[in-house]
Amino acid sequence: MTGNADERPAGPATAQLFSPGADAIYRLVLMTLAACLVAVPVLAAGIVRSNYVTGVGIAPSQPLPFSHKHHAGELGVDCRYCHTGVEKDASAGIPPTHTCMTCHSQIWTGSDMLKPVRDSYASDEPLVWKRLNKLPGYVYFNHSVHVTKGVGCSSCHGDVTSMQMTYRANAFEMKFCLDCHRAPEKNLRTPAEVWNMEWKPPADQASLGPKLAERYHVKGGERLTECGICHR
Amino acid sequence: MAAPAIHPGEDMNSVGDAVSAIPLTHPAGRRWWIAFAGAVALLGLFALTLGYLLYEGVGIWDNNNAVVWALDIASYDWWIGVACGSILVSGILLLLEAEWRGPVNRIAETVALLGTAAAGLYPIIHLGRPWFFYWNLPYPNTFNLWPQFRSPLLWDAIDIVSFLVVTLSLWYIGLLPDIACLRDHAHGEAARQLAAVSPTRKVALFRAQAYGILASGWRGSAAHWQIWGQAYRVVALLGILLVVSVQTGASVMLAGSVMPGWHGTLMPISFLIHAVLSGVGVTAAVIVLIRQVYGLDHLVTDRHLDALARLMLCLGCASAYCYGAEFFDTFLNGDAAGRAVLVRRMEGGHALAFWAAVLGLVLPPQIFWSARARRSAPALAAAGVLVAAGAYADHVMILVVTLTQDFLPSSRLPYAVDVWGIATFVGSLGLFLTLVLLFVRYFPAISITAIRRLVPPGSPEEPAGAQRQEAALRGSGQEAPLWGVAAAFPTEAELATALQALSTLRGPVRLDAYGPVPMPRTLRALGLEGRSILPYALMGALGGGAAFYAMCVYATAYDYVFLIGGRPRFSWPSFVVPSVSFAMLCGCLAVHAALLVLNRLPRLNHPAFNIPDFHRATGDRFFLAAEMAEDGTDAARLERRLAGLPAGGGRPLATARVPR
Repeated sequence: MTGNADERPAGPATAQLFSPGADAIYRLVLMTLAACLVAVPVLAAGIVRSNYVTGVGIAPSQPLPFSHKHHAGELGVDCRYCHTGVEKDASAGIPPTHTCMTCHSQIWTGSDMLKPVRDSYASDEPLVWKRLNKLPGYVYFNHSVHVTKGVGCSSCHGDVTSMQMTYRANAFEMKFCLDCHRAPEKNLRTPAEVWNMEWKPPADQASLGPKLAERYHVKGGERLTECGICHR
Repeated sequence: MAAPAIHPGEDMNSVGDAVSAIPLTHPAGRRWWIAFAGAVALLGLFALTLGYLLYEGVGIWDNNNAVVWALDIASYDWWIGVACGSILVSGILLLLEAEWRGPVNRIAETVALLGTAAAGLYPIIHLGRPWFFYWNLPYPNTFNLWPQFRSPLLWDAIDIVSFLVVTLSLWYIGLLPDIACLRDHAHGEAARQLAAVSPTRKVALFRAQAYGILASGWRGSAAHWQIWGQAYRVVALLGILLVVSVQTGASVMLAGSVMPGWHGTLMPISFLIHAVLSGVGVTAAVIVLIRQVYGLDHLVTDRHLDALARLMLCLGCASAYCYGAEFFDTFLNGDAAGRAVLVRRMEGGHALAFWAAVLGLVLPPQIFWSARARRSAPALAAAGVLVAAGAYADHVMILVVTLTQDFLPSSRLPYAVDVWGIATFVGSLGLFLTLVLLFVRYFPAISITAIRRLVPPGSPEEPAGAQRQEAALRGSGQEAPLWGVAAAFPTEAELATALQALSTLRGPVRLDAYGPVPMPRTLRALGLEGRSILPYALMGALGGGAAFYAMCVYATAYDYVFLIGGRPRFSWPSFVVPSVSFAMLCGCLAVHAALLVLNRLPRLNHPAFNIPDFHRATGDRFFLAAEMAEDGTDAARLERRLAGLPAGGGRPLATARVPR
């Protein structure tokens, strides 16, 4: 203040270091940071679960446009006609060109669409399909034990008889496996129903499921959720 | 102990100027740059080691299937021990209101924060796949799994996150008023440079604004100080509780195994004592270093060195007791395996660690029986470094000697310290030192506020400020709408007297007081008595802790029943450790929210800054501000009332009308 005989240096001429608008900006920045603290993890979690990352529902282009809807749905070809290993092996198997040619050496023999099949047969080079369902190397999975103990194809692969071009029906994350391993009786079917692509749990699943689990010797819950069941 | 904690002749301004000169004018620049170059070189080594570690994997440390924990965990334990020790010392000095805490608190809090930062890296980098470190935290994941709440791995993760939050907030809360002091110093300098059209004026203004943003608009109002003091003490208390939880938790982690030599009932206590001792050692060494480099002998006095030395002596004796009790107990009472471990410690392949630990932790503090040694800065620094090294050796000894040989002959594998393990630790020292040097360069290394509280009120002030200006100074912008009337006082006592006199004034007037130190005597007149931050802290801590505990119970007993090692579904004791840590974290966040909301901060632009000479509110002046409706009659009445007060009994040095 005036008349100060102090040797203290004079203070700043402009008293305010910040303009009145600075407060609004500062608070906005603080609130944005706080919002980011929530929004960034939520966004990241959303992206990780999105079909863009998991590939669910996305049909990649294949060497030729094979239709499960036509073959398995409209013509009624049994799953096991092509995927021969599903009942006795760990892998269901991709059919060799010979399997295609059992029919296509007789029908649609001149079709342009089937040219890659004939070329493959002639040159003895297998068709290279794009794989849809992949599991990491540290996961042990066996098809035969699932289908012989009442877990139907569509429980994991969806209704392939409605797929013109085949796509991945479920993201095979650990959550997907565990949902069933923790409560298998909700998804167990009678042996005849395993191949039914339009299977829905029947009205009496609540009473039927535990009975089936007992018949199949499926020990749910504790046994099926042990780490070593899948990670061997 | 008779020596005063502050030199006679120090006043408010000399303290503020001496401390803020370090970050603002940066004396001893060349010495700082040499030290900084060395620290950055070590930091470079750290980057190199981490790069190799990420590329090659944890195998580079030569840990093996038996000795799964070696230098990595020893370094982690040591860093978190140093952090625990520093925060405990700082917190206890604060809660006890030790008058000599000024130079110790700030450095101890900084050591705690930076030690935690160094410690926090170890749990991440010692993982096989460090980029998945977040798998350890409970979050909604695509595995449909919970982390294992019975596992010390998870306790560690929660502990370290809580510790980071608590140390950061203790450090920042303590720093807040001092940053405001720096801001005003820097603002004054920027204004001078602007007036002189100096070429560096933009940098000066930027620096002032950077400090201004960090200070969040701290005005030193009586209300600010009241909540600030409470927040500081509450966070210190939360920190102390967290330290006890973390250190005893760390020893319980070892006790939870079946390894020989890890089950002494005194172990939680000896962990705590060695942690505090190493924390005091590192803090003392850093304090002596800063004192020597910047010539702060007048602020860090012999009294402070003496107090630190006595503290180290007590803890050294306690450490000797811990070792002695362990020998006594094990040899008299222990089982054969425990005795074998103790013998192997003393004469096995890693006997060097044992003797370094005993000689480092127990012997160096004993020199402080001598009063001369207690007042010697080099002796204090040397003893500090030695006890810190001893504490490191103690961690190595406890881990490695037990792990190289447990009950099974098949799990006996030799271990030798590997060069990459040492490089990782030395690199983490580089990180710590780099950050310490940056802190000294840009922040007040010594608490201005704590030392100012020791300045006897008003004594050296009188001659300069004696001519009281009767003529009321008209504020600069008389045509601008009026915000209020301000008056300046040399001491808190006079300000309080004036406030008392004005409190009878009727009318729409809001009174506030601003000053460079806490002003408890003004609170009654301002009607602020009885405000407390404690309910917020309690609600935050109890709510957060209970929520975390409930999550543990829900996850472990209901949602993710995973029976392991015969442990019960409801393993309640193991849930306590992370819940306590998380409670401290939530309490701390609640305190911060309350500190901001109750004080209506941040507020970068405020009419109070228009008070003439307001920068001295973080220096040597106390201001009274009466905010009023836009009506000149109120202002005139108030000015008359102030001018009518007796000199020395509430009459201000000057008054001013302040524009909005």
